[in-house]
Amino acid sequence: MKDITKLIRRFVGILLLSTILVIVLNIIILAVISTSQTANGRPWTTAKKTAEALQETETGYILSGDISDQLNRENAWAIYIDNDTLEVKWHTENLPDTVPLQYTISDIASLTRGYIDGYPTYTGESENGLVVVGYPKDRYWKHMSPSWDYDFIKNAPYTVLIVIGVNIFLIFLIYIIANSKLLKSVKPITNGIQALPSGEPVYVREKGLLSNLAAKINQTSDILQKQKRNLQRKETARANWISGVSHDIRTPLSMVMGYAGQIEDNESLPESERKKARIIRQQSTKMKNLINDLNLASKLEYNMQPINPKPVNLVAIARQSVVDFLNLGIGEKYPIEWNTDETLAACVINGDKELLRRAIGNLITNSQTHNPDGCTISVCVEKSDTEYKIIVKDNGIGVTDEKLEKLRTTPHYMMSDDGTTEPRHGLGLLIVGQIVSAHKGTVAFDHGKQRGFAVTLAFPIINNSI
Amino acid sequence: MDYNYLKYKKILIVDDESDLLEMVTSILEQDGFKTIKTAGTVSEALKMCKEWKPDLAILDVMLPDGNGFSLFEQMKTFTEVPVLFLTARGEDEDKLKGLGLGADDYMVKPFLPKELSLRIGIILRHYYQGENPIVPLAGSQIDFDRAEVIKENEHFPLTAKEHDILLALYRNAERIVTIDQLCEAAWGDNPYGYENSLMAHIRRIREKIEANPSKPVSLITVRGLGYKLVLAEK
Repeated sequence: MKDITKLIRRFVGILLLSTILVIVLNIIILAVISTSQTANGRPWTTAKKTAEALQETETGYILSGDISDQLNRENAWAIYIDNDTLEVKWHTENLPDTVPLQYTISDIASLTRGYIDGYPTYTGESENGLVVVGYPKDRYWKHMSPSWDYDFIKNAPYTVLIVIGVNIFLIFLIYIIANSKLLKSVKPITNGIQALPSGEPVYVREKGLLSNLAAKINQTSDILQKQKRNLQRKETARANWISGVSHDIRTPLSMVMGYAGQIEDNESLPESERKKARIIRQQSTKMKNLINDLNLASKLEYNMQPINPKPVNLVAIARQSVVDFLNLGIGEKYPIEWNTDETLAACVINGDKELLRRAIGNLITNSQTHNPDGCTISVCVEKSDTEYKIIVKDNGIGVTDEKLEKLRTTPHYMMSDDGTTEPRHGLGLLIVGQIVSAHKGTVAFDHGKQRGFAVTLAFPIINNSI
Repeated sequence: MDYNYLKYKKILIVDDESDLLEMVTSILEQDGFKTIKTAGTVSEALKMCKEWKPDLAILDVMLPDGNGFSLFEQMKTFTEVPVLFLTARGEDEDKLKGLGLGADDYMVKPFLPKELSLRIGIILRHYYQGENPIVPLAGSQIDFDRAEVIKENEHFPLTAKEHDILLALYRNAERIVTIDQLCEAAWGDNPYGYENSLMAHIRRIREKIEANPSKPVSLITVRGLGYKLVLAEK
């Protein structure tokens, strides 16, 4: 919509500019033409001068040389009519034969306004008569009855202004109607183009001035949709493949885990054998976690995991995650401290309980995995003005600055590239990141206070939740 | 905690993998269960349910002649046997479907033998507690049917909330139950802000069940997290 207003403003600007230019151009042309033509008042002036220049002497009437020359140059003739006798007392040599030499008063009135025998005539008042100058028939055109309504002349400035105003208004009206029609046909096109990046299907009616463009937009949208569908299909296939493989591994792994667990618990076996079984059981547990993580990570990545947002209490979820771990009863080497302020009220966000529980569980498991010699794990929930924070930290071996940097900057699965013995921060933390960002939160990795590793999950407080 | 009478419950395991059947059987046998039978197909399982009448069924979801969900639905038409799904299908939808059908638990393979034993124990205690309603503690006994505690031959009645809280603890005996779970058990779905009430109830329960309420040995506090009910060893 902003673009349309911008367009209209641009159009009106162009119109104004062109109107001004047209007016200026007209004035210039008018000026040029009117200076090149004979001035309107000149024949009258010539007649007046002729009257003044005509001298009565004893030998008759004499016209001074200057005026005589001027009349000759213009092929004009002149007569002098006496006031009393109304006869022509003097005339120039070139007087045509058809011009009468005797006049009546009505003749005088007629020649003053118009012509004598088709020659345009102009009068000048002399001492005792009237000088009449006649020009060739094709020299001037005279308006015979130049009279106007008094009010018309009086109101002429307003009339002119009103006419100009009406004209300009009309031009603008035509312009705006024409343009808005154009814009109307442009609007669906611009809307279509603006909607394309949203990824939703776009359809513009292929009608009117710009139907071609509309058809192209529709084609583009179709292509985009097709690509999107193909991509989704591929992603789904990949996620399904991962989920299929992890499904098929589960049953065989059950046997490994089950029998290893039984051998481990069998008190009639020597301790050394039971220890081996324990290692098998521990490693198969790791494999189990890896399968779960792999499956979830691929689903979260392809947005297949449904997030079921419901009001959930982060304190309760964190508490449950810690208790789940404690109830497993395998944590003697990994005591967990619950350091949440007892007076902290419920920290409610809209979230998926199971996924959040998984995220915290992954952080606890992560601390264990990286500290095979044991460590104390601390979990706490805090509230600031804008965020709820869940902090999971340990006092174990921690991470190097280099690794921390890598964790912060690498958004994807980090393969261990320096041999399999190196503990790997990978899928588990990746999932934590995916889950937290699905809840519009952030993950921060850091060193522990003295040593060890600390992860902070921060979720924005939304005021309108319960 | 030893509930010998529960070890005589009949357990039916249904899975199409004979190796897995063998393993689960051996886990349960090691755990002390005496009567275990297995089935590899839906039809076999249905037949055994009708004839042998197990007290607990452990079902796989994917079976050669059908699936565990429909098997469970058919079983429900003639028996109320508790069911635990044990399957490789770990999707949330599958879990929700299984539990939504009314299964007592849903476990995803692979699993730890210990976890399976614990979960079976919880289901059996839940279902068959009525047969032995007296729960022995270090300094007293709880009679859930009559909602009372018997301490040194004296009877202390339990209020409704105390009963609910104790029952939730007993069903997860020897495991920590979070404050939130206990609040939910006592006050329902929107259990915010009842922590202080819960503490008051716990204090009163301790006065009834503990020999020395200021030094509890049966109802243990796990600071900040929850509580644990410790049963007396026989």
